[in-house]
Amino acid sequence: MEDHEILAKFHEPASRNLAFNQLVRKYQQKVYWHVRKMVVDHDDADDLTQDVFVKVWKNLDNFRQDAQLFTWIYRIATNECLSFLQSKRRKFFLPLNDVGAELAAKLEADPAVAGDEIELKLQKAILRLPDKQRLVFNLRYYDEMPYEQMAEVTGTSVGALKASYHHAARKIEEYVTAADTPATNADEAY
Amino acid sequence: MKTPFRLDEHPRRRPQPLSSPPAGYFEQLPTRVMAQVAPPAARTSQPLAWLLRAPAYLRTGIASTLLLGTFAASLWLGGASLHSPVAKAASLDAVPPAQLVEYLTSGETHVDMLELAELPTHHLGITKQYLQPSSTELTEALDAQPAEEAGLL
Repeated sequence: MEDHEILAKFHEPASRNLAFNQLVRKYQQKVYWHVRKMVVDHDDADDLTQDVFVKVWKNLDNFRQDAQLFTWIYRIATNECLSFLQSKRRKFFLPLNDVGAELAAKLEADPAVAGDEIELKLQKAILRLPDKQRLVFNLRYYDEMPYEQMAEVTGTSVGALKASYHHAARKIEEYVTAADTPATNADEAY
Repeated sequence: MKTPFRLDEHPRRRPQPLSSPPAGYFEQLPTRVMAQVAPPAARTSQPLAWLLRAPAYLRTGIASTLLLGTFAASLWLGGASLHSPVAKAASLDAVPPAQLVEYLTSGETHVDMLELAELPTHHLGITKQYLQPSSTELTEALDAQPAEEAGLL
């Protein structure tokens, strides 16, 4: 079902629930994986994904159709992730690196990465990026989202996003290279 | 010298390498989301939905009050019906006379034939109200009595 059909049905009280169910089915996987990449843990991703759709439900009446529905949902998901990570840091008085280390520990326990040393180093390097830079990197590197769409999602200019992505990529390359050199402590070099 | 790591040369794994969610997760997620966003009208249509959301101590209090109220009401209504003469007469009317005599003369009630015989002299017509024995039934009852009790009549 096309987005405009979902929205039209959502605005009719009789088909509101059905339309929203269609919307969740259509976007649940994209939202889940977008969130999961940021928080790593499945349970956290599950809670946040549900929160995202609850917010979508509450605000869909106010959605202006000058933006794409998917971009708008992505924006809500992005804000939820950033708020979650920020509150986690504030709650436990954790500096940036400790949250990154916690996420890295969860990643190491993940069987999907275990056994692939280079991949694990890459993922750990990504997790060490500041939240917003990591978000930009994920959207560009894994989702291959155009910069213009990323600008809508993040509310940042295209130029700033390009700079952020290239800066993130350079830091990741440096970290993995340092981690790959036995005599170097990557965490100190990074 | 170690070759520097280059992102462009590294095979890109998509989606990002993380373990999949539990089996059936995406089949259940829409239902779980819909349960959270059910419209308020649907929620208020369940009259006791607020009770389910109430704290445990409040639910316990309400349950205790209901239980005590039910007990008090049953006592009050039961007492009222027992003290009503109309109810008493109606309930005794339904009992066959032979069964009444048998009950009154049984050992448990401690009423003997002498007391039964004296009852009409103190309360005229009482036997007519509760006992309407036929002459045949009276004769049979008297014949069944031992000689010493029958002699008192």
